[in-house]
Amino acid sequence: MSKKNGKSLYLVALALFLGGVGYLVFSGFSQNSVYFLNVSEALAMPSDKLQSIRMFGTVAPEGIARLDDGPGVRFLLEDKDNPGQTVRVMYRGAVPDTFKEGVEVIVEGGMPQGGAAAEFRAKTLMTKCPSKYEKENRKG
Amino acid sequence: MHLSAYLLLVASLLFALFFAGAAAAQLWQGRSTALPWIEKAHLMLTGFMTLSSVVLLHALVNFDFSLVYVASYTDRALPLFYRMTAFWAGQAGSMLFWAWCVALFGVIFAVTNGYRDLSPQTKLWYWLFFLAVMAFFLLILTAWSNPFLTAAPAPADGNGLNPLLQNPGMIFHPPLLFLGYGGFAIPGCLALAQAMSNGYGREGAWAGISRPFTLTAWLFLTAGIVLGGWWSYMELGWGGYWAWDPVENASLIPWLVSTAFLHTSVIESRRGKLHRVNILLMALTTISAFFATYLVRSGVVDSLHAFGDGGVGRPLLIFILASTALTVAVTLIWRKDDAKPLSGIDSREGFLVLVAWVLLALSAIILVATMWPVFSKFWVEKPMGLEPAFYNRVCLPLFAGIAVLLSICPWLGWKGGVRSMPKLLAVLGVMAAVTAMTWYTYRMPMAALGAGAGAACVAGIIILLTTEAHVRRNNASLAAHGVHLGLALMVLGVAFSGPYKLEQEVEIPRDTTVKLGKYDLRYVNLYEGEGAGYIFIEAELNVTREGAPVGVLSPQRRLYAKFDRQAYAEAATIFGLGDELYATLLGVDSSGAATLKVSVNPLVNWVWIGGTLMCIAPFLGLGGLRRPSSSRDEDGDTGDGQEA
Repeated sequence: MSKKNGKSLYLVALALFLGGVGYLVFSGFSQNSVYFLNVSEALAMPSDKLQSIRMFGTVAPEGIARLDDGPGVRFLLEDKDNPGQTVRVMYRGAVPDTFKEGVEVIVEGGMPQGGAAAEFRAKTLMTKCPSKYEKENRKG
Repeated sequence: MHLSAYLLLVASLLFALFFAGAAAAQLWQGRSTALPWIEKAHLMLTGFMTLSSVVLLHALVNFDFSLVYVASYTDRALPLFYRMTAFWAGQAGSMLFWAWCVALFGVIFAVTNGYRDLSPQTKLWYWLFFLAVMAFFLLILTAWSNPFLTAAPAPADGNGLNPLLQNPGMIFHPPLLFLGYGGFAIPGCLALAQAMSNGYGREGAWAGISRPFTLTAWLFLTAGIVLGGWWSYMELGWGGYWAWDPVENASLIPWLVSTAFLHTSVIESRRGKLHRVNILLMALTTISAFFATYLVRSGVVDSLHAFGDGGVGRPLLIFILASTALTVAVTLIWRKDDAKPLSGIDSREGFLVLVAWVLLALSAIILVATMWPVFSKFWVEKPMGLEPAFYNRVCLPLFAGIAVLLSICPWLGWKGGVRSMPKLLAVLGVMAAVTAMTWYTYRMPMAALGAGAGAACVAGIIILLTTEAHVRRNNASLAAHGVHLGLALMVLGVAFSGPYKLEQEVEIPRDTTVKLGKYDLRYVNLYEGEGAGYIFIEAELNVTREGAPVGVLSPQRRLYAKFDRQAYAEAATIFGLGDELYATLLGVDSSGAATLKVSVNPLVNWVWIGGTLMCIAPFLGLGGLRRPSSSRDEDGDTGDGQEA
């Protein structure tokens, strides 16, 4: 009898635990998930869906300009596979050491609504880590 | 010479394949005559791999740029130490290093008493699995990730080692992880082998025999993860120790699964229960190590660390899927008739199971969340991913939950009931008081609960060690309590340094002051200088706290000769067990105005102190195993203390 009770207690505990974790995960998924997009994919989306996204691309060789008022940078982000497709990005904050033309970067932020010439406002700007590894990438 | 090193790897591959086949054939025929040959074959194979590693090392040390690998990761200016450690700077080298570690672990295991006393059948199964793993490694090394590719003509100089890796802390982060991943191969293969040969009860239990390997691997893995966090905090100048990047998550998954195993294995070795669960968890630990590599190396998920594919992604994935299927099949087929039911959930057994649940839930969540950009493609047209905020929201409460369980567990009996009500109440009192206090000041429920639970664990372990003499005498329980104390300190460190960190990014001219909480940071001077292979500029910041001098921060910005156009920030800190002051120099303009990132990190050093303790304490448990007594009473490790 007591064994049976023990087992059902485990089941109840498991149900409670999974319920709690499920709730946490569900709320996390509904509030903290964002689109992970390449530049070309972002360009193909309607701008109202681009309020909060993470975008991957390469820094274009031309158009890099440091902001005059405080740390930050404006640049053109081009698609990794399709350099013709670009998005203008404005980022205010500390620019990573490894940021330069040709590096792959990840930006998080959103596209302000209105106008096709809008500038992507990046909250974060991350460059992909060791440049050495990228060489390997190309060979492979 | 390079060709012969490559041929040695090919020969090792053939050896591994042939003798894995031989083991299978012997099992089929019900004989074990070839066993000595298989053992010798593994020695041979390890010898071959050692030789090819020596060749690679020799090439690295002697600037042999005809090897693509050497040219890619070293140059003539690189000091000897970093030339040697460039062994694991790239994919091919780190694969070779990992495989070589696994082979060496295999040799060590084969000379232990535990191995010698196994039945021939179990040994054959073990070699079948182990050599299959070796063959897989060698296939990767010979087919997709060959460290001995040559270039003709050889370049005059190499590309140099990434400056981020030119740091004594960082250079040991990858090999520690690989040693951790590698060490789990032995217990993983042995668990499956003993299940297949049905050797339970007729020979030493696999969990006990392979325990030194499990613990060693766990300790290396923990050290690797902690070192990685410290490096990202100090060296990268990111100011944060954990960003929930896919690569970081990848190393956490094997850690979580193996930690869950350590807890359920206590129930098996002390109480003779949960055999099947343990086989599954151990094998999954081994597989998750491969999965971690897959995540890092395949480029399946876009990450900050662009290691690139190099073609190993697909074979790794196939290997992972196949071995997971095998593991699940073995655990489903295998039965043990005399398995006893678990005690009630309000017992120490119950709590160990709960901890394992939480750890496994964490690993499953992190796995799914990290792979979400891949999974979500099945039902939405564009990939969705998860922000770091997701992990903080979902994982931190679970970690706080672990700390709560950990503070209560030592006071429960194995079969149920409370061992000492006054002590339990004292611990709960500490938890309530600290939680209430932090809640009152900061209003952050999770941070408050984490702080309370962390403090309660520390208090509980101190009470336990001072009042219960038998705990102090038992090395295995001391090891467990040491690890738990380390974890509690880490929980405290994270609970304070995470939410209560003050940070500012400023651009200021000389002789101006930034205010950060109670601290004033005054930017007084700018220097230029030269170090080994780099030039630097350095800002000098005088720090005062409410008028009283605290110290000087000198963050640097370095330009390495080989990596021009790329500056590296060298963070500066003023160490403190309470608040740690932290500064990175992000840039300087022509007028001498500096862009600085400054922060105050409360209790952050307890994360490193706790982490170090977690890596050191298991040694006590290893020592305990050398005592000449049966394996039964030596495994209180990571359980919660020895109960009379």
